[in-house]
Amino acid sequence: MNEIQYIGEHLLPGQIGRLTIVLGFVASFLAAVAYFFAEQKKETAEAHGWLKIGRWSYIIHGLSVFVTIGCMFFVMYHRMYEYQYAQAHVSDDLEMRYILSAFWEGQEGSFLLWMFWHVILGWILIRVSKSWEAPVMAPLALIQFFIGSMILGVYIGELKIGANPLLLLRDVMDLPVFAQADYAALLNGNGLNPLLQNYWMTIHPPTLFLGFASTAVPFCFAIAGLWTGRHRDMLQVSFPWALFSASILGIGILMGGAWAYEALTFGGYWAWDPVENASLVPWLILVAGIHTHLVAKTTGYSIKSTYLFYLLTFFFIIYSTFLTRSGILGDTSVHAFTEMGLENQLLIFTLFFLIFPLTVFFLKGKTIPVIAKEEATGSKEFWMFIGALVLLFSAGLITASTSLPVYNKIRELFDPAFEGFVIQDQVAHHNKYQLWIGVFVGLLSGGTQYLRFKEPNFSNHTKKFLTHLGIAGIISLGLTFLMGQWIQVRAWQYQLLLFTGIFSVITNLDYLVSFAKGNLKLAGSIISHVGFGLMIVGILASGLNKEFISTDPFTQRGLLNDEMLKENVILFKNRPANMNGYQITYKQDTLVDRLRHYDINFKKLTKNGQVAEDFTVRPTAQFDNQLTKVAAYNPDTQHYLDKDIFTLIRTLPLKEADVNERKRLEDSLNFRIIEFPIGAIGSFTDSLQTEDSLFISTFDVTIEELIRNASHPDYDPKPKDIAMGLKMKIQERGKPEVYDATPVILLRNNLVFAYPIQINDLAIKIKLPSEFLNKIFETEIELDFKKFLMQKGQSINYNGYQITLDNIDLVDPLSQNTTNKNYFAQKGDVAARAKISVRKNGLPVPQVVEPIFLIRGNQPFPINDKLISEGLHFQFSNINRETGKMTINIAQTDTDVNYPIEIATNSLRTDYIVFSAIIFPGINFLWTGTIMMMLGLAFSWIRRRQELYRSK
Amino acid sequence: MKKIHLIGMIMIGIAIYLITTAGTEVATYANFESARQTDQPVKIVGTLVKDKAIVYDEMKDPNYLSFYMVDDNGEERKVILGKGKPNDFELSESIVLTGKMKGDDFFASEMLLKCPSKYTDEEIQLKSQEG
Repeated sequence: MNEIQYIGEHLLPGQIGRLTIVLGFVASFLAAVAYFFAEQKKETAEAHGWLKIGRWSYIIHGLSVFVTIGCMFFVMYHRMYEYQYAQAHVSDDLEMRYILSAFWEGQEGSFLLWMFWHVILGWILIRVSKSWEAPVMAPLALIQFFIGSMILGVYIGELKIGANPLLLLRDVMDLPVFAQADYAALLNGNGLNPLLQNYWMTIHPPTLFLGFASTAVPFCFAIAGLWTGRHRDMLQVSFPWALFSASILGIGILMGGAWAYEALTFGGYWAWDPVENASLVPWLILVAGIHTHLVAKTTGYSIKSTYLFYLLTFFFIIYSTFLTRSGILGDTSVHAFTEMGLENQLLIFTLFFLIFPLTVFFLKGKTIPVIAKEEATGSKEFWMFIGALVLLFSAGLITASTSLPVYNKIRELFDPAFEGFVIQDQVAHHNKYQLWIGVFVGLLSGGTQYLRFKEPNFSNHTKKFLTHLGIAGIISLGLTFLMGQWIQVRAWQYQLLLFTGIFSVITNLDYLVSFAKGNLKLAGSIISHVGFGLMIVGILASGLNKEFISTDPFTQRGLLNDEMLKENVILFKNRPANMNGYQITYKQDTLVDRLRHYDINFKKLTKNGQVAEDFTVRPTAQFDNQLTKVAAYNPDTQHYLDKDIFTLIRTLPLKEADVNERKRLEDSLNFRIIEFPIGAIGSFTDSLQTEDSLFISTFDVTIEELIRNASHPDYDPKPKDIAMGLKMKIQERGKPEVYDATPVILLRNNLVFAYPIQINDLAIKIKLPSEFLNKIFETEIELDFKKFLMQKGQSINYNGYQITLDNIDLVDPLSQNTTNKNYFAQKGDVAARAKISVRKNGLPVPQVVEPIFLIRGNQPFPINDKLISEGLHFQFSNINRETGKMTINIAQTDTDVNYPIEIATNSLRTDYIVFSAIIFPGINFLWTGTIMMMLGLAFSWIRRRQELYRSK
Repeated sequence: MKKIHLIGMIMIGIAIYLITTAGTEVATYANFESARQTDQPVKIVGTLVKDKAIVYDEMKDPNYLSFYMVDDNGEERKVILGKGKPNDFELSESIVLTGKMKGDDFFASEMLLKCPSKYTDEEIQLKSQEG
C-alpha cells in the first residue's frame, strides 16, 4: 500500500512532546523508587546516593513536564491543526489572550496544569524540607506517576492508558481529508467554547488546581510522618503547608462561586452541583484537619485524627477527579468534563489513593502517641475536636448525596434493570442538612474561643466564660432581631442560623478585644471565624430575600400555577416600563467583537419624584465564533453596599438571535415595489386576516429628500463608498404618530448593499432596491449639458435662471471644506471649486452649488454638483489658463424622478428583549465573609511559617 | 465509654436517620403515568417532540413556553413551563422536568436541558476552499 507523503505537517514538536511525556512518566517512577530507598536505607551509606538519584529524577521529571507543556503551547500558538489537541481547542479566530483557557479547557491540559503545580511544589519541598525530603517526595513522585499515566496514551493490549495530548489528528481520526497530502493547511480548529471566553476561565482553573495540588503536601507529610514515626516534628513542619493549602483551595472554590454568580446564567453563586460539591468536600476535611492539627501541636491530643483528615483530604481530591472526569455524573451536573474513555484507569487511580494511605495508617498508626486521659469537657481541645467532627459530618453528608450516581452504577452492575435514583431538589436537599452544620459551626466557633487549651481547672474559668458567653449571646439576640427585620427571616430554623452567624461574629470580636488583646498570633483564626459568621448572614440575606424586579403585573393571567414566579418581562426599546418601584428603559445596543451590549437604564424615584437611584447596566448577548447565533447571554450586575441588582437577557427576537432565522424570516417577507417622486405623498394598503376579523390599514409615505453620503446605524462608511439614502415620513392613516425613515443603499467596489429600516410600531420594513441606484445614475448619464465659458463674477441666463460664478478657489484636502457631497479628498489632489449661486425670478435660491474640477494623478475629473430642488446639474470641466475662462456645463432634469422603494408589512419587531432582573440583598456579607475566611487562613499560614523558621 | 465516642455514635445515629429519611427526596425518574398518581412534584426525563408545535410568543407572555415531550414509556404529553425559552432549546437531546400533572398537561417549574456538546463533535472544520 502506498503511504501518502504528507506535506505541511510540523512533526517535531509532537515528537519532542511525546518523548518528554514518556520521559517525565519514567522519571517520576524513578524518583519515587529512589526516594523510597533513600528513606528505607537512611542509616546506610547508600542513602545519599539514592537521595541524589531521587532528586535529579524529580528535577528531570519537572523539566519534562515543562517541555511537554511548551510543545503543546507551541502547536496551539502556531495553530498546527494537524495536532488533535490544537484542532480541538483553538481556531483561527480565537484571540490569543484565550490561549491559556484553551490549554486547560481539555482534560489533558488540565492534568498537565495539575502536574505543573506538583512540580513547583516539589521543587520547593526539595529545597526546604531537609531531612523530610525523601519521605515526603517519595509519595509526591508516586502521585505524579499516577497523573502522568493519564496523559501517556499507550495501549497495553486492548487497555488504553491515558490520552496523549500531542497526537496527530490523523492518528486519532479517520477523515476523507487525510487522502490529500496537504490536508494540514485545509484544517481549521474548533476553538474555545464561547462560554469559556472570559477572564474567569483564565484565573479560576490555575488557582483551583494549585489548591488541588497543594493538598498533596499535607498528604505526603502525613504519609512521611507515619512512615518515619517522627510525629511531633511532622506536626511542626507541615502546619504552614496545610494552612496554605486550605487558603488557596478555598480561594479557588470561592472564585468558582463568583464566576457562577457574575458571569454565568445560573442566577446564584452556589447550586450544590456535584462538581462544586466535589471540591468543597476536601476543603471541609482539610479545615477539620487544621483544627485537630492545632490541637495536636498544642496538647498532643488528636494526632491520629489529624493524620486521617489529611489522608482523606487528598483521597477526596482524587475522588472528585474521578467524579468530574469519568462521566459518571451524567446529567446530574451541568459542568463536568467530557468523557475520555479512561473511566477504569481513573477508578484504579482513586482506589489506589484510598487503599494505599489507609494501609500505611493501619500498619504504622500504632506508633502515634496517644494520651490515655480524656480531654477535659471544659477544654478548648475537646470542643475543637467536636467542631472538626461536625465538619467531617458535613463532608460525609455532601459526599453521600453527591455519590448517588456511583451508587446507581454499582447497583446497575448487579441488576441491569435497576433504575437510577436522583435527588428531586438538589438545593433544598443540601440546604436542609447543611443548615444544622452551619448552626453547630457558628456556636462552636464562637463559644470555643473563650475556652483554654489544657484547661487545668475549669471551675476557676467558668465565671469569666459564662459572663462573656452570656453578654455575647444577648447582643447577638438583639442584632438577630434587628437583622431579622431587614432581611425578613420567618422560619425559626433560619432565625436560629442567623443568630449563630451573628453570635460567631460577636464572640470572635469580643475575644479579640478581651482575650487576645490584639495579639497577632490569634488574628488569623479570628478573621476566619468572623468571616464565617458574616458568610452565614450573607447567605440568609441574599438567599431568602432574592427578589425578582422583573415581574410585570399585566402578564399575571393565572394561566399557570400560582406558585410559579414570573421571572421575565419584555422591554421595548426606549419605552420605559415600571416595575416594583423601578423605571426600566432599554436604551440602545451596540456590537463589540462577538458581544452585543444592551444599555438598560434603571431609575428609582422617591415619593417626591426625586431620582433615588439611576444606573445603567449592560448585559450582553454573546455570539458564537462564526457570529451566526447567540451562544450565551451574559448578565451584568449593579453593585451596592447593601445589595446587588443582577440583570440578564433571557431571549432576543429570533431575527436578532440567529442569522439563519433572520434570513428565513426576511425571505418570507412580501416586499412590494412602489415608485414615488420627491415631495409626493403615496399610499398603500395592507390587509391582515385574523381568526375573527379582517384588518385593513392604509399607510401614507412622503419622500422628503435624496441624501448623498447617507448614514445608517449598521453602515460603517469607508472612502470611495457611494451611499444613497432616501429620507421619508410614514404614517398610518388615522393615527397621529409620524415615523421618519432613511433606508440606505450602498455601492462599494461594484457591490450593492441594502440597509433597510424597520419601523417596529408599524411592523413595516423599507429598503431601497438596486433599481434605485440605476435610476439615479441613469439621470446623470443622460444629462444634456449646455456649455458656458465664464469668468469670476460673471452671470449668465439659463432656462430663466440667473446663474453667477461667485468665486473660484482650491478645496483644502484636509478639511474638505466644500458643500459638494460627491467629493472625497485624497492625498495629492488639486481640487478647484467653482462657487455658483442661482437666482430664480430675481430671488436667490438658498442652496449654493460647488462643482469641482479635480486633478488627481495628472488626470482631470469633473465632480458634478446638483441643485436638487430645481433639478439643475452643474459640471466644472475645464480651466483655460490663457483666457482665465472656466468651462461650466449646466443641465436641467425633471425633478419629479420616480424613486422606487420596497416595502413589506408584517415584519416582526426587533426592538425588544426578554429580560430578567433580580435583587440580591446583603450579598456583600457573603463575599466579605468568604474572603475573610480565606484571608484568615492565609494570614495564619504566613505567621506559622515565620514561627517555623524562627524556631530553626 | 469516652465522651468523644458517645458523640461519635450520636452523629452516626443521626447520619443513619437522615439517610433513611431522605428517601422522599430521592426517587427514580418518574414518567407521565406515575406523575398522575401523585400530588408531589416529580422529575421526568424525556425528549422533545420536534415536529409538534413549540409555542413561545414573548410578545404575549415571556413566561410561557409549551411543547410536547415523550417520556421513557413513549407517552406523549403537552408540557407547559412558566419560564422563558432557553437558548438552544430545539437542539436538546434530552430534557429533565420538575413539576406536576394537571389534567392532561404537565406543568413544569424547572427544566434542565442536555445538549449535545457542540465543541467536541466528530465534525472537523475545514477552511473554506475559496480565496
